[in-house]
Amino acid sequence: MASPRRSPSFLFHSIGLVAALCCACAPGRDAGGSGRGAPPVSVVDDWGRTVRLAGPAHRIVSLAPASTELVFALGLGGRLVGRTTWCDYPPAARDVPDVGNGIAPSVEAVAARRPDLVLLYASEADRAALGSLTRIGIPVAVLRLDRARDLARDARLVATLAGEPAAGDSLADAFAAALAAATRPAPARPVRVYVDVQSDPPITVGRGSYLTEIIAAAGGRNIFDDIGGGSGPVSLEAVAQRDPDVVVVLASDTTAAPALERGAGWGAVAAVRAGRVLVLDGSLYGHPSPRMPAAVRALAANLARVSAGRGGP
Amino acid sequence: MTAAPAGDAGPALALVRATIRYPGAAAAALRDASFAVSPGECVGIVGPNGAGKTTALRALLGSAPLDAGRALVLGRDAAGWAPDALARAVGVVGQREEPAFPVTVIEAVRMGRYAHLGPWRGLGVSDHDAVAWAMARADVAALADRWAETLSGGEWQRVRVARALAQEPRALVLDEPTSSLDVRHEMELFELVASLARADGLAALLVSHHINAAARFCDRLVLVAGGAVVADGPPADVLDADRLSAVFDWPIAVHRLADGAPQLLPERRPAAGGKR
Amino acid sequence: MRMRRAPFLAALGAAAVVALLAGVLVGGAHLTGREVMAALGGRGAPGTRAIVWQLRLPRVALGFLVGGVLAVAGASLQALVRNPLADPYLLGLSGGAGLGAVLAIALGLTAPWAVPLAAFVGSLATITLVYRLGRAAGGALDSRVLLLAGVVVGAFAGALVSGILALSESAQTRSALLWLMGGLGGVGWAGVAALAAYSVPGLVVLAREARALDLLTLGEEPARHLGADVARTKRRVYAAASLLTAAAVAASGIIGFVGLAVPHAIRMLRGQDHRELLPASFVLGGAFLVLADAGARTLFAPLELPVGVITALVGVPLFAVLLRRSARGWP
Repeated sequence: MASPRRSPSFLFHSIGLVAALCCACAPGRDAGGSGRGAPPVSVVDDWGRTVRLAGPAHRIVSLAPASTELVFALGLGGRLVGRTTWCDYPPAARDVPDVGNGIAPSVEAVAARRPDLVLLYASEADRAALGSLTRIGIPVAVLRLDRARDLARDARLVATLAGEPAAGDSLADAFAAALAAATRPAPARPVRVYVDVQSDPPITVGRGSYLTEIIAAAGGRNIFDDIGGGSGPVSLEAVAQRDPDVVVVLASDTTAAPALERGAGWGAVAAVRAGRVLVLDGSLYGHPSPRMPAAVRALAANLARVSAGRGGP
Repeated sequence: MTAAPAGDAGPALALVRATIRYPGAAAAALRDASFAVSPGECVGIVGPNGAGKTTALRALLGSAPLDAGRALVLGRDAAGWAPDALARAVGVVGQREEPAFPVTVIEAVRMGRYAHLGPWRGLGVSDHDAVAWAMARADVAALADRWAETLSGGEWQRVRVARALAQEPRALVLDEPTSSLDVRHEMELFELVASLARADGLAALLVSHHINAAARFCDRLVLVAGGAVVADGPPADVLDADRLSAVFDWPIAVHRLADGAPQLLPERRPAAGGKR
Repeated sequence: MRMRRAPFLAALGAAAVVALLAGVLVGGAHLTGREVMAALGGRGAPGTRAIVWQLRLPRVALGFLVGGVLAVAGASLQALVRNPLADPYLLGLSGGAGLGAVLAIALGLTAPWAVPLAAFVGSLATITLVYRLGRAAGGALDSRVLLLAGVVVGAFAGALVSGILALSESAQTRSALLWLMGGLGGVGWAGVAALAAYSVPGLVVLAREARALDLLTLGEEPARHLGADVARTKRRVYAAASLLTAAAVAASGIIGFVGLAVPHAIRMLRGQDHRELLPASFVLGGAFLVLADAGARTLFAPLELPVGVITALVGVPLFAVLLRRSARGWP
């Protein structure tokens, strides 16, 4: 009987496909900009791409709440022509046209706004959108605005692209100063905080998250800062064993108290039994923003108040 | 539109001292078996269960590799035939067939032409003629647009014979073609096969449990038992009472019909005692 | 229930035209028909032309190609395993592709072609593993063992995917889920051309085996007796259908239901002569996917649904109607 060999063209197919896919990844070059006699601007974005505009950007679409807030904070809110459904701060942002999702956005909806600059969030799910936008000639700057230290860099980046570098510098400097003032020196015994991203099954944040930073600046400590990444699943037992002083929950409606104690097993966590649960505004605490110094102060006060029932730090 | 050209010398199908031993089996499935089927002959392979009848058939068609001996189709080694060439030479109607998807009778019969067409050619005039002839010969022309699953057992069997005929083969091989057919359909099928051999010159080979029907229609019977060919000749010679009783391990008497065809009559064993 | 050839071809052509028009005319940018026609003719605003030529047309072309390839692969595999419930992913392929893609995302591989390539490699691994497992004694592919092997390998890969997703960053999880759910965005003309060029040999191989596939549906023994080289046909069809599906999945994620339902619809309307079934499945599969994608883009604008949701939502009731009518119509 003949030996069962694969059809010989299989290897050829795979090589051919690899070669074709390599050709298909031709890097896009950004061009465009409004060209009103102003000099061209160029920056390197957070994915190492060089973004070149023929002139300062005047029609900006922002595809992340963090960058929308940043644009407004730089005083450039008037240049925004598109934002995501989830961009709700500042309130003026609601007047900017909504183009849908920020992650895996509808490229056509973005293109319909005729932007000369798109601020894209640095997520792998946005790779396809980046490719599409580049292909139709719309300049894109990818921003990784995940941590406090990203804010200064990205503020300068966006400001330069808008032709207002001075605004970026002043925002960055003011932010650094305010944050330094608001940051408390690390206390001897920090308030131990557990961040509840999701209750069932429990998911919390790790070292790589902005929340961990803000908690540390406010004199607390994320009990799971030994998790390396931004977030991760944990077991309820581990939470109970690490015995946080306070449990923090992010929500868009801060008046409704989450009924954590109703969840199965959460009664094992002392903070939940004692009602030491703090609800934080997701819009303020969910992503790095120029409001961070004020947020740190508010959080420090809240942590101190809620953990006072336990005998204080 | 006949199937066999005139003046064909030599047998269409032949086993020459064929031996097949399945791995791990105590005894050989086929031991030194030899027989042949010539054009115009209708030959029946008969014997008890597990005797090796179907094995002999598979050996003949090159489906089972031989441990010794040869299997010849139209004088050439069976294993050396390409599948489509073999299909043009031999039409096979197997034991069971269940199409996975619904098919009409005419579609099924047309599939018999595929061996002539290759992957690309469409059915031409000669193909349609062959299909029409085959369906007329097997008496299924009236069923052309019926769905296969709505046919009775006998009708489906004849359709499969028609398909084999559409291949325009030189030999026709049938494995237990009448096992689920009633009297009328069985007789009709045997008549058809016998006439295909005699009138159209095909070499017809059937495997059957129904020795009596085979004895009435076949020119020769090959009696197989325990993997060996025990007898090979006209039915009257092969069907001997003592030989049959030994082979089938049951008391058997042989009666003769008016036309001379021998008929096997198993005797009833009394409740106690008996022949053994 | 069966249609005659001329009306059938006309209906197929009409479906294709409607689908192509829908695909080009709808989208998040809300262009008018006139604007689109102008852009197609090379006139109009450069922004509009870019949207039509760089976004919509490649997407329509990709949708037609992927839908067509999935339908042809599904039809071939249904004949190969003699099971009307087979679809291109039955042999574990979606699990392998998903595993490759999710691994690439979890490892943070950032090159633009990294995820599709990883998905393709994952598919290849699955294809090889299932092929090895699917071989009975003697080396020939055994259809039932193949099916089982596909289910088992696919389940294994799926479990690994779940595990990886559970341990991943939420951003990566989101990314991976979006990829797995399938989508036609993000591929430009180069990608479409690559997929087209790659698919042609596979489609030719399947076309060549069309007659043998007809015979195979009768059973392996009858097929052999009717002149098919069964072992060779099974190997070729398995390889071609699997590789075609792997390429489609690499380009657009896992889009279900097209490969399962479209061949059945064609069979109900025209029968199972594969020389007609395969090309007709290609056209209907392509049209169906393009239409589904147009729906996915517009139903909840500006949010885009994964196209697999539409194919299932629309396909299942349509298929049920067809099933009932044909059940009543059979003699």
